[in-house]
Amino acid sequence: MKFAEQLEQIVKARIEKDSLTLPALPAVAFKSLELTRATDFNMNDVASLIEKDPVLAAQVLKLCNSAAMATREPCKSISQAVTRLGSKNLRSVLLEISARRIFESRDAKVAATVKALWEHSRAVAQLAQRVAVVSGASDPDTAYLAGLLHDLGKPVVATMLLEAESQIAQRNPKLWIDFPTWIDVVQRCHRPIGLDLARKWQLPEEIQKAIEECADYDPANRLSTGNAVRFANAVAKQQGIYAGSVNADDNDALVMVGRSLLGIDDETLTRLSSDLKEKSKEAA
Amino acid sequence: MPRILTVDDSRAIRMIVSKQLQPLGFEISEAEDGNDGLSKLQGAHFDLVVLDVTMPNLDGPSMLAKMREGGNKTPVLMLTSESKTAIVTMLMRLGITDYVLKPFQGEELKAKVLKALKLPADYTPASAAANPSATPAASAASAAAAPSGGERVLVVDDMENVHKKVRSLMPAQVTLDATLNATEAMTLCRTNKYGLILIDAELPNTNLISVTKQLRLLQTKTVLVAMALRTANNVTGEMREQGFDDVLFKPFTNEAVEALVDRCFLENQDLLSVQENFLRVAGFHGREDKMERYFQRLLAKLKEIVAKLAEACFDSAVLDATALPLAQPMRAAQFMADVARVAADAGVTVRVVGSSEMAAVVGRFEEAKSLCLFQTVEEARAAA
Repeated sequence: MKFAEQLEQIVKARIEKDSLTLPALPAVAFKSLELTRATDFNMNDVASLIEKDPVLAAQVLKLCNSAAMATREPCKSISQAVTRLGSKNLRSVLLEISARRIFESRDAKVAATVKALWEHSRAVAQLAQRVAVVSGASDPDTAYLAGLLHDLGKPVVATMLLEAESQIAQRNPKLWIDFPTWIDVVQRCHRPIGLDLARKWQLPEEIQKAIEECADYDPANRLSTGNAVRFANAVAKQQGIYAGSVNADDNDALVMVGRSLLGIDDETLTRLSSDLKEKSKEAA
Repeated sequence: MPRILTVDDSRAIRMIVSKQLQPLGFEISEAEDGNDGLSKLQGAHFDLVVLDVTMPNLDGPSMLAKMREGGNKTPVLMLTSESKTAIVTMLMRLGITDYVLKPFQGEELKAKVLKALKLPADYTPASAAANPSATPAASAASAAAAPSGGERVLVVDDMENVHKKVRSLMPAQVTLDATLNATEAMTLCRTNKYGLILIDAELPNTNLISVTKQLRLLQTKTVLVAMALRTANNVTGEMREQGFDDVLFKPFTNEAVEALVDRCFLENQDLLSVQENFLRVAGFHGREDKMERYFQRLLAKLKEIVAKLAEACFDSAVLDATALPLAQPMRAAQFMADVARVAADAGVTVRVVGSSEMAAVVGRFEEAKSLCLFQTVEEARAAA
């Protein structure tokens, strides 16, 4: 059995045995999300909690004052940011920050790849949101979050593969896999892990579905979040905003079907996606 | 006249396709399965095949494969309820031009048929007769020059009294839609084109930056105006940072609303659309006291275009002036005299298309009599 196949078997076996240690949400983010799920939560309680994690607090302020969220006056305190964002946007911001942490690696071999995967996720998020606005597909903010999290399992598998590779390589230093093979294994294994992670993080059902199904559109529910994400994913790949191999024919078919399914004409698609590459870099 | 073959086992679908495409002047033939389709293709030339996937006897992919094997390269537009990636990939490999998923909107089918036939998006049988050499590129230029939102205004404010006040200050010809929140505004913006959108700067539970961004995606040519109180020194600057074009201060004054309407519907209007040496005048829809400004802007634009035509070595042009307002006949006559002078100065012969009423107007000015006047575009073109 080839080394890459061995690694894939190891990953799949761990998935089947459910013996994976999936990354947890940062403790403060998890507790804050828990608080915001209550209908009558107190904004001050959430703000006090976030302030306990200075890195998280700084990231919340940064996102709150970013072009996408900012209002007239920049937010200067967490309490102000939490009030201004509101519960729905605050949840999105906390999840975005938590996901971003998963797409970071100190290992030189995977750092560039997970960064590229994050850029891809940001591009898919931006386009899915725009597609939702134009087509009326679901809620644009949900589409954004679903786009951002659709590949959540990939960095987890990437890290896991790296660990398995290093363990085996200790016994047999001659064994190694090249990058295209390595990323192919990640592509083949990531979806169930992403879904497990989405469940563990208690992501909304719509986002779990978007992570779960990606090969084909759901024609019965044309304007679903999942369809918007699938389409955005294919367009981002078509533009080369991706890390990994792409079956160009299948991908072109996904774009062609998606345009009709979501009612996006050529001119609109060009308008919505012309700055995608730039935006994904900017955001990353 | 383009000939289209629609191949579908559903009689209802074939009828819908015919009903959608016949008004465009296309000749439509029908086939009920792949075998029937192939036999029709052997007997006649078609410019496009609109093909279903699942059919009895011979399905769409098999028919398409046989067409290509036999060297038939007729463009094929798939019209199907099949959306599986593997099947669509296989169809793309067989050389389909485009794809429409059932159930479909007539507009999508028409747009994709026109694109497959390499016809302009605004193609009509009349436009084909008027401009047989129209190219998609020329059409795109024309579309870009066309007014975007007409005289339609959207007001988004959680106070109904604001809707009433805006309505009372808007000119009668303006169509006004009003809504209390941003969500409803988005829905309206998916179906209507607005020349002007007025949004309350203090709309409750609303992130204005997000709203202006979303509206810009839906309404590419609209003017976005914030309705705000004079609460700070630089409200206009702050609103521009949030994505607005301008601010209308509350409480509104007649003058401010009037200036805004002028800016959106008169100053921003493309008064003269151009396709090579064919020029078309856009009508005037403002208040009568603004008409002088309309004629001045139209003349300035005309001078600019005629100079460019001369530079490009066009020695003649057709000016479709059927939309020119004749409510002030003397002013219209003066304008036509100016047209004659501008054309003579540039050495360009201008053939004007206008009604008999226009002919009477032109007759009032000696200078304008030198213009060649025609009733239809076809007549003007034929005289070239």
